[in-house]
Amino acid sequence: MLEIKDLHVEVEGKEIIRGVNLKINDGEFHVLMGHNGSGKTTLAKAVMGHPSTKIKSGDIIFNGQSVKDMSADKRAKLGLFLEFQAPVEVEGVGFVNFLRAARESTTGSTVDIKQFMAEIREYTDKLAISGGIIGRSLNQGFSGGEKKKAEILQMALLKPKLAILDEPDSGLDIDAVKAVAESINEIYNKQKMGLLLITHYSRILNYMKPEYVHVMAGGKMVAEGGQDLILKLEKEGYDSFIKSNGKRN
Amino acid sequence: MADENLKAILEQQSSEYKELYGFRDEHKYEHITKKGLTEETVREISKIKEEPEWMLEKRLAGYKIFREKPTPTWGGDLSEIDYNDIYYYLKPGAQKADAWENVPDDIKKTFDKLGIPEAERKFFSGAEAQYDSEVVYHHVREDLEKQGVIFTDTDTAIKKYPEIVKKYFGTIIPPSDNKFAALNTAVFSGGSFIYVPKGIKVAMPLQAYFRINAEKAGQFERTLIIADEGADVTYIEGCLPADEIVSRGDTFGRIDEIKKGDTVPTHKGSMQTVNETFVHKHKGTILEILPQSKGNGFRLTGEHPVLCVKRNVVLTKRKRRGTWKPEVSTKELLKAEPAFVKADDLEEGDFIVYIAPTQSSDDPLIDNKLLKILGLYLAEGSVSSNKALRGIKSVSFSFGKSIKEAALAREVNSLIQGEGWKSSVFRTNGGYYVVSSYNKELVALCENNCGKGAKTKLLSKTIMNLPPEKQFVLVDYYWKGDGNTYVRYGKKLKRASTASRFLAYQIQEILGRNGIFANLNIRHSSKDRILGRMIKRSDQYIIEYTEGRRIGEVRKKSNTFLVPIKKIMRHAFKDLVYNFAVSNDESYLVKGFAVHNCTAPIYMSSSLHSAVVELVAHKDAHIRYVTIQNWSKNVYNLVTQRAFAYENAYVEWIDGNIGSRLNMKYPSVYLKGTGARGEVLSIAVAGEGQTQDSGGKIYHLAPNTSSKIVSKSVSKGSGVAAYRGLLHIAKNASGVKSNVRCDALLLDQHSKTATYPYMQVYRDDAVITHEATVGKIGSEQLFYMMSRGLTEDEAIATIVLGFIEDLAKVLPLEYSIELKRLIKLDTSGGVG
Repeated sequence: MLEIKDLHVEVEGKEIIRGVNLKINDGEFHVLMGHNGSGKTTLAKAVMGHPSTKIKSGDIIFNGQSVKDMSADKRAKLGLFLEFQAPVEVEGVGFVNFLRAARESTTGSTVDIKQFMAEIREYTDKLAISGGIIGRSLNQGFSGGEKKKAEILQMALLKPKLAILDEPDSGLDIDAVKAVAESINEIYNKQKMGLLLITHYSRILNYMKPEYVHVMAGGKMVAEGGQDLILKLEKEGYDSFIKSNGKRN
Repeated sequence: MADENLKAILEQQSSEYKELYGFRDEHKYEHITKKGLTEETVREISKIKEEPEWMLEKRLAGYKIFREKPTPTWGGDLSEIDYNDIYYYLKPGAQKADAWENVPDDIKKTFDKLGIPEAERKFFSGAEAQYDSEVVYHHVREDLEKQGVIFTDTDTAIKKYPEIVKKYFGTIIPPSDNKFAALNTAVFSGGSFIYVPKGIKVAMPLQAYFRINAEKAGQFERTLIIADEGADVTYIEGCLPADEIVSRGDTFGRIDEIKKGDTVPTHKGSMQTVNETFVHKHKGTILEILPQSKGNGFRLTGEHPVLCVKRNVVLTKRKRRGTWKPEVSTKELLKAEPAFVKADDLEEGDFIVYIAPTQSSDDPLIDNKLLKILGLYLAEGSVSSNKALRGIKSVSFSFGKSIKEAALAREVNSLIQGEGWKSSVFRTNGGYYVVSSYNKELVALCENNCGKGAKTKLLSKTIMNLPPEKQFVLVDYYWKGDGNTYVRYGKKLKRASTASRFLAYQIQEILGRNGIFANLNIRHSSKDRILGRMIKRSDQYIIEYTEGRRIGEVRKKSNTFLVPIKKIMRHAFKDLVYNFAVSNDESYLVKGFAVHNCTAPIYMSSSLHSAVVELVAHKDAHIRYVTIQNWSKNVYNLVTQRAFAYENAYVEWIDGNIGSRLNMKYPSVYLKGTGARGEVLSIAVAGEGQTQDSGGKIYHLAPNTSSKIVSKSVSKGSGVAAYRGLLHIAKNASGVKSNVRCDALLLDQHSKTATYPYMQVYRDDAVITHEATVGKIGSEQLFYMMSRGLTEDEAIATIVLGFIEDLAKVLPLEYSIELKRLIKLDTSGGVG
């Protein structure tokens, strides 16, 4: 479904992604791990079309078509979703109104507000989000944990075909990590979407079962494998991968 | 003294009034003063109104001050106002009506467009409508009248309630206050007069509508509101447009249906926003340009520029042969850069530019198999509902009798079944092959993407946005069904015909995107007798192209086609012509051909709105005054608004400024009694070419008074939004609290904002807070919202609406919705 072909990406004139290949088929669960600064987030942003990422060469194919020149909203309409590490706050824009607008523009059909509210409540209960955030402005005054959970809530409601989760575990306490992981599992199993989880801690993976694991360093993939790779990482650390691959940066 | 000549000119000009929202109707005025302002004019106005002597004296005093005071040099450029070029008094040919039915039809029509009086019935206790200088409609609820509430126009009040008027008129805002207050005093006409007696609380707002209809007209209404002890009243004045927002069609729509904010493709092939639309009456010659593809012929006025390569600059050296025009050098033609040439300067044989803009937002759900089905549906299919089966719909494809047709029938049948849908092929008694299916998904697919009847078949937005190569699959199969192939000079000439005009343009466009120029010809409707039966044919649009060979003299240049003009005809014409302004590329496509848009929004001449509003809130009274100002963008809006608030009284100004060319308005509250409160909430949106210079002034003149000013401004493009405020705290005013907050939002790097807070504080114990922020729409905010599916325009509008949300929610719901709608319209068009 998603195929990244020899992708080179620059940010502010500096090459951050240096030739990445990645293929995610329908319904597959992938994990992308790596140091801070290894290029994970840049890769995620490039796939979603962040204006700061300039694709120098290579291609991003989603469901058979190149999306690298599309605006972010078009990619979202095709079924791509990016969970943000630090979602921005927007004053005065009601959270529910925004969810509704997003749902309507991604699905192209109008939302029955009653039914939609019921759907929202279902997930706020599951994610243990306080009902209070529903009445607030988009991400405004949300705690760190609430922001993360609100992102997962959006993923559940927008029903993407492929969701890229950029460190959904960062800044969460242990209970919250578990709750978020379990919700992601449940949404993944129910909606049968593809998943690319980005993290640099293996903690969240105690609760999740990815099929494929990729390790990134210096803007390149340096290792790929199954779950056993996570154990190896935990034991030996990232540096061993980088060393064994000869270079970093 | 009516000036017949001017009246005639004024009426004639009305059709050229080119402002959006500034739609203007042709009203016959009963009375027009001479252009320009003299003492004579002032006396004339007073005389027409049969005013008492004391009012004439006030007017003359105002006139004298107006003459003496210099024009302010701050705030905005007022130097272009030509006081001698303005009509100061225009009396509509109507008496004031108190029932809506009695308002003259043309005026009623104008206000109906503005959503009146429906709004009155629903939301208001009373309403008043002013058309140019005079109030034409006035109504107040009976129960309020019985309670002693007076709501009438100012002219009536002068005659009926002279004591109250004399007591207050010009005491809150004396003519010496500023040049425009003086001007208003001299020439005012209309406006509202409200008196709410002691202890009466008017639950629903009172409402007034103002409209400047004539060009170069001034509107100078004068409003006076007095809330007696403990009274409570909300007054709303508005000037609202009610035009409909139409969808941004991607198909071919009529130009008169194009609205501001729509997007249209331009000669560069990009989609751009329509900034303004214009209509004017054209009397004289109109040109009909018939290119080689006659079905693409279009009409336009002589001065309208068309993108073109002149034939005489690309000729070969060979001479003309027979009926052929001198031959053209392909090399030169392809090298020549097309330029905009006035239609009047076009000649037969010149090349105009056909463009098939490519959209690319693929719908992966529509694959080639479905496109094949749709292509054949377009040619041979129809949807019908079966009465016997309680209206269940079915799709049927009707083919001919030949072996080839039988093969097509089998192909579509297997394509349908390949999708897992049921269908069947059968042969009619006449030997025709028919494929039919009751599958709901198939019915929906066909109906949604191709339409139903032969004349109304039309490709959906989804199809028109597909990549060209996918669209070609559909057209290829359409051809298999409806087309014929002729062999001519060893080349295949392909031809198909359809009764749907827009479908023909769409297919031509799809072929164009695939590098093929197709000719479009029209066979006009006819009646025929075939085998004794009368056959009526509607207009047929014939599309034809030659496979692998250029057609006629048409040349392909990158993704455009240069098409020779075959004929230019000149017709006499007397009707409306349309035009609109397009951002960035300044052009649009007429039946595929690139023409220039109008050069720039033209401000034929400006109008002046200079009102004076005086409020008096006695002890414990509350007045809320709401203005939503959306004047046309040629209006100078220079208004003085001031309130006196006595002991424990509370005055609120809520001020929405969206329209006008230059707006200078600083509602003020004089807190004269202990414990009085004053608030100014203002929203200003400065779009392209606009200056919104607004804010508020508060004078704390008594102890324990409190105030709040909140200003939110949005600027876009060359728009300038400035906050200008004054906070005055007098020596005797102890225990004052004041809070000033002004936030500005810039939509792009060109837009500007400024803050001019003035403070005169003569007390040490005053608690004053002043906050000011300037924000830009951040790229992170935009990206975040776009990554959730909102388009850039939607994201910007959402952010702007969020920015003003806390002020918008203070407004009555209908106004809040209207304000949001206006802002959405005003901010669309992208960043940068």
